[in-house]
Amino acid sequence: MKKIEAIIQPYKLDEVRDALKNIGVDGLTISEVRGHGRQKGHKEVYRGMEYEVDLLPKIKLETVVPDARKDEVTRAISAAARTGKIGDGKIFVFDVAEAIRIRNDDSGELAL
Amino acid sequence: MADADAGGEGLLAEAAAALVERTRLVDRAVADAAAKYLTPQLALPFAICAVGGYGRSELFPQSDIDLLVLTETEAGVAAMKEPLSQFLRVIWDGGLRASQSVRTTGECCRLHEQNIELHISLLDLRFVYGDARLFERLAAALPAFYQKQEARLTRELAEMAGKRHAKFNNTVYHLEPNIKDAPGGFRDIHLLHWLALLAQDKGRIREALDAIEGPRKFLTAVRCFLHRQSQRDNNLLGFELQDKITAFWLDGKAEPAEWMRLYYRHARQVFQAALRALEFAELRDPSIARQFRDWRERLSSSEFTVSHERIFLRNPANTLSTPANALALFTFAARHGMQLSWDAQRRITADGNLAAQFQSKPPPWSAWRELFSQPHVALALRQMQETGLLGAAIPHWHSVECLVVRDFYHRYTVDEHSIVAVEVIDQLGLKQDVSVRFRELLLQEEDRATLRLALLLHDVGKGTRPGDHVTGSLEAAADVFERLDVPPENRQTIKFLIAHHLDLSSVMTGRDLDDPATGRFLTSRIPTQEDLRRLALLTYADISAVNPTAMTPWRLEQLWRVYSSGQEQLTRELIANRIDREQGATVAANESPELALFLQGFPTRYLRTHTLAQVRRHFELDQKRQREGVAVSITQEAGTFLLTALASDQAGLFAKLCGALACKGMNILKAEASSNSHGCVLDLIRFSDPMRNLELNTDEVRRLEWTVECVLRDSLSVADLIKQRRSAPRPSSGSKIMPSVRFNNEASDDCTLIDFVGEDRPGLLYDMTSAISAVGCNIELVLVDTEAHKAIDVFYITREGGKLDEELAQSLLEELKRVAMPV
Repeated sequence: MKKIEAIIQPYKLDEVRDALKNIGVDGLTISEVRGHGRQKGHKEVYRGMEYEVDLLPKIKLETVVPDARKDEVTRAISAAARTGKIGDGKIFVFDVAEAIRIRNDDSGELAL
Repeated sequence: MADADAGGEGLLAEAAAALVERTRLVDRAVADAAAKYLTPQLALPFAICAVGGYGRSELFPQSDIDLLVLTETEAGVAAMKEPLSQFLRVIWDGGLRASQSVRTTGECCRLHEQNIELHISLLDLRFVYGDARLFERLAAALPAFYQKQEARLTRELAEMAGKRHAKFNNTVYHLEPNIKDAPGGFRDIHLLHWLALLAQDKGRIREALDAIEGPRKFLTAVRCFLHRQSQRDNNLLGFELQDKITAFWLDGKAEPAEWMRLYYRHARQVFQAALRALEFAELRDPSIARQFRDWRERLSSSEFTVSHERIFLRNPANTLSTPANALALFTFAARHGMQLSWDAQRRITADGNLAAQFQSKPPPWSAWRELFSQPHVALALRQMQETGLLGAAIPHWHSVECLVVRDFYHRYTVDEHSIVAVEVIDQLGLKQDVSVRFRELLLQEEDRATLRLALLLHDVGKGTRPGDHVTGSLEAAADVFERLDVPPENRQTIKFLIAHHLDLSSVMTGRDLDDPATGRFLTSRIPTQEDLRRLALLTYADISAVNPTAMTPWRLEQLWRVYSSGQEQLTRELIANRIDREQGATVAANESPELALFLQGFPTRYLRTHTLAQVRRHFELDQKRQREGVAVSITQEAGTFLLTALASDQAGLFAKLCGALACKGMNILKAEASSNSHGCVLDLIRFSDPMRNLELNTDEVRRLEWTVECVLRDSLSVADLIKQRRSAPRPSSGSKIMPSVRFNNEASDDCTLIDFVGEDRPGLLYDMTSAISAVGCNIELVLVDTEAHKAIDVFYITREGGKLDEELAQSLLEELKRVAMPV
């Protein structure tokens, strides 16, 4: 099993969610996060006051899928979230040792 | 709702009996276990007592039991250890969750600073098993202890209640309330009960306690239901349980929202009774701290007495004689952030005639504007709601009172959400630990009254048009405008804010905020910077009022980025978007054709920021300008003056106006200058008169108009006038603001934009505009604003019809910094 973690632009969430739904991925965890990569932050001056805008709002999306679906899922996320501009985000893939459904103790891919 | 009450009668009676029966059964189980496991093993006398809820014989189906094991001496406590653990094991095995403490009678009558809860629980002491004489000795000693500690324990109770209420935002209107701890829950009933037990003078508190007998029975039945359904000590009345209790209570004949209104009605009575008892307890508190707080008594007026942070009516007959007088009371509360006394609230609530007058002829807009402009508006609105006057003045308000609209994120009923949103704006103006950027936006907002009324009405449609609440709120607002006689310009703003109150939230998550198209999308819906600012503030308040943690740093940042994107685009479009022939003709459809010509070429912002009456006035002045060369008018509005000047375009025009005002000691607060297609420049300059020269000498207004006219005609020189100027007071040296000047050649196709922020001083604008004119630049459009000692100016300038080159821009930048440098 693989855990796929994607940092995307907030306005791309609906498109990414639809893309995943279209390939049968329904289980998602979504968080509102802030951070920066190469996009970095900047200083903003508003009416004479300077504000440091170093952490930009992003959406973190997490899902766990069977190994065989990893490429399909990352492609779907990448295609839906891509605009070609700096700030589109990143996708990280992790190995998952075990998954257990708390309700009935299903484990492994059965629990996904 | 009478039917709803009647539906639960069986449940009410059954619940009361169930508490007594469970207490009886638990008493027996405790006594049996004690007889079997304690008596045979203990030589020293002991008594098992019930305390807390168990002591009150108020054992709900899943409530814990609190036991006090009483011994005569410390030796008894030590000897108790082993037999007691056996006894407790049996109690737990019997399915009872017991908490116990072992104490001597002496310990119980000695103040434990760190364990005030012990003394509160002992107020409900009841004998269950053991040595009755030992219990009697304690029961006989306790009254003297409580008499001695009455003030201290009362104060502790009040503080604990205050913290508990604050944890729930001091409101009963939670969508999923905790019926034990939330305001209006069981803990408030207990609070009254304890205050009554402690008080030497029990009359007033007993009276409050008696008044909530009905709500007490209601809450008892609800809590029994919750415990049985959940099979645990659950006091959270969640949506699922609301469905179940409605089906059970009303036999499926009503919606859960209707049953919840019944709940809120009862909880509100309990909460008010608790507040009343706390007020009474505070009045009797002689502590030094309390007396210190009474410095605010100095705020008392001929109408109101301020005592212990409460407002008392000095002359009730007069205050309650007219809606305007009564509204002045709430305005007083909103100004000073003080609650009405219980007595004042009772009188207002009982005065049916006053409510009828509020309904038939509410106070005029001027009185409401005064109320809505104060710093603590939400506090006053809550009290108006509790006394029924808010619903009387705004009948649509009834449709959202106690209205539950189920939503995963929302925590409060619709009415409470709206008042909390107003409170967010109050807090933004009052507190330092809030978003600095939105606080800055609020500081720029001159008309907070309109913003607050829009917030109060923005969700009213949820009660009248559940599927399309924006339309419903607009319909309700139209009715409110007529009832309160709201002026046209305020109506326009409120309608705009309600109609667009979801726009920025939707852009926050639905659009690419770095894409210029997002800015254009925003400006296609939001015509002016003032509208955008108000909408950003309304959205900030609306999101913050969803629940206490809804305005996360993430959302705050996104909302600000949306605001910045719109603001940047509006600035860009300011000079580009001009009134064309068609727009001019539309506005002038029922006016003279010359008006359409006059409008042509002014920025489109002009139409959005001026009423038709103001446009007509400017047009009349333009006709005078055409006859006489210049037209100048000065009017007084809300403590400031407005100079309206129309003249043919000429070099240094704006600088001359600023100079003329500066040399007369006037302080420019805001200014706008723009021109139409026919070479007519319209300057609008709002200024204050720190020396009150214009106010005290009526002829001076005409004299100033004459001076300005002469300056515009070049028959008087600003330089000569400046020489005669008296030096005006300057800001203290501690408040120096270093000038910040930025150029932007990208913001407009034809102009260079200068963005200036610096320390304001008399004559600053004249010095700056003179510097701009001195290098041959023309000011095409200007927006001037001030915040306290800070001047915030935006100039759109050209030189020989185009943008400034880099070299000229840089030298002008240095010159502007030099003239604006604080001394």
